[in-house]
Amino acid sequence: MLSKPDSALVIVGHGSTVNPDSATPTFAHADEIKRRGVFGEVVCAFWKEEPSLRQVLYTVESDDVYVVPNFISEGYFTQKVIPRELDVTGKVTFRRTRKIKYCEPVGNHPRMTELLLHRAAEVAPGISPRETSLLIIGHGTSLNENSGAAVKEQVQRIAARGDYAEVFGVFMEEEPFVTDWRKIASQPHIVAVPFFVSDGLHSYQDIPVLLGIEAEPTQAASKMDVFRRNPYRVAGRSLFYASAIGTEPLFADVILDQVAAFDSEFAA
Amino acid sequence: MTKTHSQIETLLAALLQRGVNRIGEILIRGEFELLHHADADRSDLQFFNNPEDAREIAKYDESGNFRPLKTAPNLRCGWKLVLRDLHELREALDCFYPAMPGVLFAHECSALEVVDLRETLNRQTGMYAVTKKISNKQANELIAGFCRSDNGCLKTILWRIDANTPVTSLPPCKFDPAANQLGQSVLAIPLLCHEACNLLVAAARNKVKSE
Repeated sequence: MLSKPDSALVIVGHGSTVNPDSATPTFAHADEIKRRGVFGEVVCAFWKEEPSLRQVLYTVESDDVYVVPNFISEGYFTQKVIPRELDVTGKVTFRRTRKIKYCEPVGNHPRMTELLLHRAAEVAPGISPRETSLLIIGHGTSLNENSGAAVKEQVQRIAARGDYAEVFGVFMEEEPFVTDWRKIASQPHIVAVPFFVSDGLHSYQDIPVLLGIEAEPTQAASKMDVFRRNPYRVAGRSLFYASAIGTEPLFADVILDQVAAFDSEFAA
Repeated sequence: MTKTHSQIETLLAALLQRGVNRIGEILIRGEFELLHHADADRSDLQFFNNPEDAREIAKYDESGNFRPLKTAPNLRCGWKLVLRDLHELREALDCFYPAMPGVLFAHECSALEVVDLRETLNRQTGMYAVTKKISNKQANELIAGFCRSDNGCLKTILWRIDANTPVTSLPPCKFDPAANQLGQSVLAIPLLCHEACNLLVAAARNKVKSE
């Protein structure tokens, strides 16, 4: 088992200035890792909330620091924004007495396929995958061509297993768009799993509108009594909408796995 | 798991020892009871005893609105958080006022790197790249409204607009770590702003785009 009493773990999330639930899973995973006593210090940092990426390294005292982005995509944030804001220059950055180790984002982890399939089965119990179009929903962005890659890779892996009649990746900000599902999905059942780290603004408030299951953005998830009222009847199909994949408690293990993977690749 | 006191915890202990028992809107009593300073005489406070409870207390204001800026002067009243030791105190303060104990420690050790606003804005990309265009006059106007201690933010500003341009739209006490930003005479542990936050950068974007 991983044991790093002399190291700090920084888990980086996006956070939000408007949605109170965006940072919640990142804090939950940090609390779980803290509870296990694996690291001497465990802290979170956010792009849009506090502590910020510009503050966080002042909050840890260990000289050995692992940074794990709690992001799905290896894209704009993990390749550009986080390194710039943390002032890290590569996989390993030395600064004064400190060694900062920049790990892979959680979304790159091999267990993501298993977690997505588990979420999909859980949200639509008793529904045959053979009569189901599975939608893996990502953000996507024109700012970085890699942004949608994590979704596309999962779509390929899940399609190759042949369990679901169809598997599609759809995006908020690149083609095919979430709203296109009616055109591309042919099955009577639709299962939509947001490949997002939290039930924040996008997965809880924006995407339901794009899918057609809400007429306008609802309140934040934490302000609603129930999660969702599956299945929804939309365009003559039954549509099941899942909670964001990052709310899965197993993400704490995935974060620790990314640290272990870093160590095995770069010989800690 | 309680470990040996960190240097940051030792700094907090030294400040409390000297009687500096206020931080932002919080009053620290004894070892260690935290409450809103305005609740000092109340006996009907809701009791909490876990440092992580601070995160929930700090999440919404009195009206139930999300508080994205934890140093905004709108921490809700009506609670009391009792903690077992210095380590828990530090954890709770890091929830109420994220990073502030560590940033203060770095400042005390002369290890805090202060970054002027222009440098922050000039490195922005994507949707925030446009903030480079803000004029010094616009920046001063923005800061006057956004960072003011009475209804913006309780941090003490350490940065300038650029090396030759101080912020001139707020009173001198806004830049003095020894000043209590609530305008009170009691000493307070300062909340230090060594670089413009993302909220100010986002506001700068709106300012540039709206004018």
